[in-house]
Amino acid sequence: MLEISGLRVNYGPIEAVHGIDLTVGQGGCVALLGPNGAGKSSTLAAVAGTAQYSGRITLDGQDLAEMIVEDRFRAGISLAPEGRRIFSNLSVLENLSMGAATRKDRDAVERETEEWLSRFPILGERRHQSAGTLSGGEQQMLTIARSLLGNPKILLLDEPSLGLAPKIIAQIFDLIEDLRRSGMTILLVEQNVGAAIKVSDHIYVLANGVITREGDGADFGDGSDLMNELTGVHG
Amino acid sequence: MDYAAQQLLNALSFGAEYALIALGLAIVFSIMGLVNFAHGEVIAFGGYSLAVIGTVMTASPIFLMAFVLIACVAISVALERVAFRTVRNANITTGLLTAFGVSIILQNLYLLLGSPRPIPAQQFIFLAKTFNVGPIQVSSLQVYETLATVLAIIGLGLFLKRSNLGIAMRAASRDFLMVRLCGIRANRVVATAFAISGLLAGLACIFIMARRGSVTPHMGFDPVLTAFIACVLGGFGSLPGAVLGGFILGFLEVGVLVLLPQSAGGLAQAAVFLVVALLLFWRPDGILTPTTEKGDKV
Amino acid sequence: MGGILNRSQRRGLIGAALLSLLILMIVGSYALWGESYQARILYAAFVNVIVVIGLQIFMGNGNYATFSHAAFMGIAAYVAAICVTPAAMKAISLPDAPWGINAFELHPISAALTALAITGVIGWLTGLFMSRLTGVSITIVSIAILVIVHSIFLHRTDIFKGNQAFFGIPRVFGLGHITFLVILAIIAARLFRESRFGLNLRAVADDEIGAMAMGVDVRRTRLIAWVVSTFFFAAAGIAYAFYLGTISARPFYFNYVFLTVAMLILGGLRSVTGAVIGTLMISLGLEIVRVMETGPTVLGVKFPQMLGLSGLLLGVVIVVVMAFKPDGFMGNREAEDILLRNRRKEDMT
Repeated sequence: MLEISGLRVNYGPIEAVHGIDLTVGQGGCVALLGPNGAGKSSTLAAVAGTAQYSGRITLDGQDLAEMIVEDRFRAGISLAPEGRRIFSNLSVLENLSMGAATRKDRDAVERETEEWLSRFPILGERRHQSAGTLSGGEQQMLTIARSLLGNPKILLLDEPSLGLAPKIIAQIFDLIEDLRRSGMTILLVEQNVGAAIKVSDHIYVLANGVITREGDGADFGDGSDLMNELTGVHG
Repeated sequence: MDYAAQQLLNALSFGAEYALIALGLAIVFSIMGLVNFAHGEVIAFGGYSLAVIGTVMTASPIFLMAFVLIACVAISVALERVAFRTVRNANITTGLLTAFGVSIILQNLYLLLGSPRPIPAQQFIFLAKTFNVGPIQVSSLQVYETLATVLAIIGLGLFLKRSNLGIAMRAASRDFLMVRLCGIRANRVVATAFAISGLLAGLACIFIMARRGSVTPHMGFDPVLTAFIACVLGGFGSLPGAVLGGFILGFLEVGVLVLLPQSAGGLAQAAVFLVVALLLFWRPDGILTPTTEKGDKV
Repeated sequence: MGGILNRSQRRGLIGAALLSLLILMIVGSYALWGESYQARILYAAFVNVIVVIGLQIFMGNGNYATFSHAAFMGIAAYVAAICVTPAAMKAISLPDAPWGINAFELHPISAALTALAITGVIGWLTGLFMSRLTGVSITIVSIAILVIVHSIFLHRTDIFKGNQAFFGIPRVFGLGHITFLVILAIIAARLFRESRFGLNLRAVADDEIGAMAMGVDVRRTRLIAWVVSTFFFAAAGIAYAFYLGTISARPFYFNYVFLTVAMLILGGLRSVTGAVIGTLMISLGLEIVRVMETGPTVLGVKFPQMLGLSGLLLGVVIVVVMAFKPDGFMGNREAEDILLRNRRKEDMT
C-alpha cells in the first residue's frame, strides 16, 4: 500500500535519511525502530509531507511528490506526530472535530466520536474541557483518536509511548493491537523495542539514516538483543 | 454627572472603533504572526471605493455600505495573495517590514491616482445626528458604532466557537502545521483570517467616513497606529486582548482630553502613548498575554 | 592596536577602510566633476548614511524593527541648533522661550557635545525600557517614542517653532566635516559589530533563549546597542542642523523613517556594508525619481507630474527585497568578505 524507495531527507546541509526502501502492506503494522537521530521521524515527516525529500513515495501506486500536507491527509495519510500536539486551547470535542473536518458524513463522524469518548471515558467526561488540562497519556489517546477520525488509509504513529508511564504505555499498545486487528494499516516509529515488536508483523531497523536490518517479528524474538544492539549503536 | 455620562459615551465609541481595528490586526497576527501595518490602507481603500462608487453609480447608503465592506474584504484578501504569501513562514521582522512596505505603496498609490487633498464622500454623514436623552447630548453615530462593535464581537465569537473553519482558526493560532496535518487547507484558513480582518476594517471605515465625510491617503494611519498600541497593550495575538486594549485606549484618550488643560490639547496623543509605554514596562508582553502558548509550540 | 582589538575587529577595519575608500572616491569625483548644487544632495546622502549605520547597530544586529531614530535625530538637531544660534538671533526667532534658552550661545563644538550628551541621556532612559521588551513591543514603543517626541516638537512652538522653520543656525559644517563623520561612523559601527556586544546581539537575534543559556546578558546587550545607536542618530541630527541653517519638525517623522528603513533593508540589515550601499543606492535612485515626479520633458515628451512616485518605489523596494532577498543586497557579508577569501566561521553557520 505505502511504498518508499530511495528516500533521502535533508534539513539544509544535513541529510537525515540516506536513501531507504520500505514497504507497508494493506492491513499491516510495520515498525521502524532505531536510536535517537536515526531518521525515523524524518521518514514519517517525508511521508506526511512536512519535510522536503528526494526519492519516491507512493500510496496505492500514486506518487505523492506533488502533494502538499493537506492533500496527503485527504489522500488517506494521517500522522499522529511526536509530542502529541493537541490543540491545548480547544476542548476535547473540538480537537476531535478537527480530525474529522474534511469528512462530509456528519452522522458517522458523530457516532465514531461517541465511540472514542466511551472507549476513553476520561475523554468523555472532559469533552467540553480544554484539552490542555489532560494528562500526557490522555493527550496521547486524544491525538490518536483525532488522527483516526479522518478515516485514513494509513496511520503514521510517531513515538506514541514517549514520556508516558508504563501502565499508560500498555494501554497505548493495546489500542494499536486493536487497530491492527480491525484492519488499519499502521507505520509505527518507536523506541520501545519490545512492545513494538509484539504488535508489528514487519520490522525495519534504522541507524544513522540507513536500514541496517529488517525481518518479521519472529526474527527479533523478544527484542532484547536488538535493544542491546541499539543502545550499543547509540552509546 | 451629565458631563461624565457624555464622556463615558465618547470613550465607548472611541474604544469601539479601536477595538474593531485592533481585532482585525489581532486575527491575522494570531494565525500567521504577521503585524499587518497595511491595515490602515485597507480602511482608506474602503473610503476611496465609497468616493468613487458614491459619485458614479449610486447614492443608496445601504448599497454603499455593503460595497465598502466588500471592497475592504477584497483588498485585504488580495494583499495576502500578492504580498504576504511569500513571507508567510518568514520571521516576524521580515513580515512586519513587508507590511510596512505594502502600506507605503498603497498610500503613495492613493496619492498618485487620487489627490493629496481630501476627497469628499459624505454619503454616510447622515449616521451622525445629535439628539438629547434627558440632559445628555448623544450622537447617533456613537450609539451605532458601539452597537455595531458589540455585534461584530459576538458574531466573531460565534464563528470561532461554532463553525469548523472558526475552530480551525483557533487551532491554527496554536499549531498551524497540526491543522494542516488534519487536512485543513492553510490557504483557506489564512484567506479567511484576512477576509475577517478586511470585514472589520470595512466596518470601521463606514464609521470613520461617517465622521470625516472625506478621504485622504493617510486617513487609516493614525487609527491603525492606535489600534496597534491597543493590540500590544492587550497582548499581541490575543483577540480578547485586542478588544480590551481598544477600549482601554478609548478611555485613555478621552481621559487625557478631559484631564489635560485646553492649551495642551496637542499633547493628547503623546500622553496616551506615554501611558501605554509605562503599562508595557509593567507587563512587557501585554495584559492578556497568552503565556502558555509559548511553551506549547515546542 | 592589536592588543585592544580582537581578530574580527582588526579584520573589520579592513572592511571599514574599503568603505571609506568608496566614500572618498564619491567625494573625489564630486570635487572633480560635480556641479555645486550636488553638494547638498551629497551632504544629505551622507547624513542618511550615518543614520542608517546607526540603525544597523540595533535594528540590524538585533533583528528588531524600530522606528524612533528620526526622533533622536530631531532632538539632537534642535538641541544643537538652540545652543549654537546666536542669542541676538534667538531673541527674534524664539521671543517667548522659557528657561532663558534664548539668552545664551555656545561654541559649535560645545553645542554639539551638549546635543550628544542630552540625546545620549534620553537614549539611555528609553533604552532602559527597550532592553526589557521583546519583538513587537519594541516596535510599538519605538513608534510611541517617535510620536511623543514629534508631538512635543509641534506643541512647544515657543522652543521648537513646530512646523515653522527654526532659522539662523550658523552653517559651520561643510562636505569635509560630514565626510570625516561618515568615515568615523563606518569604523565605529564595524568595531561595534565585531565586538563582544555586537556578537552577543547577533547571537540574541538568532536564538534569544540559547544566547541566554550561554550567559549573554540580553538586557545589557540591548541597552548598550540602543544607546550606541542613538549617538549615531544624534551625530546625524547635529550635522543636519549645522549644514542647513534651518530646521523644522516635519522631516523628523514617519516619512524619513520610511526612507531610512528602506535603505537599510535594501542593503541588508545584517552588515554595515549593506547599510552604506543601500543608502547610496536609494539616494541615487531617488534623485532620478524626483526629477520624474515634477513632470519633466524628456526628448520632447512631457511627462505628467507624479506626486508619490518616490514613495511608491520605496515601498516596492521594501516589499520586493523582503519577498525575494530578505537578507538584502549584502546579506551577512561585509566589504572585505568579497575581497578576502577565507571567510569567518560565523558566516558559515
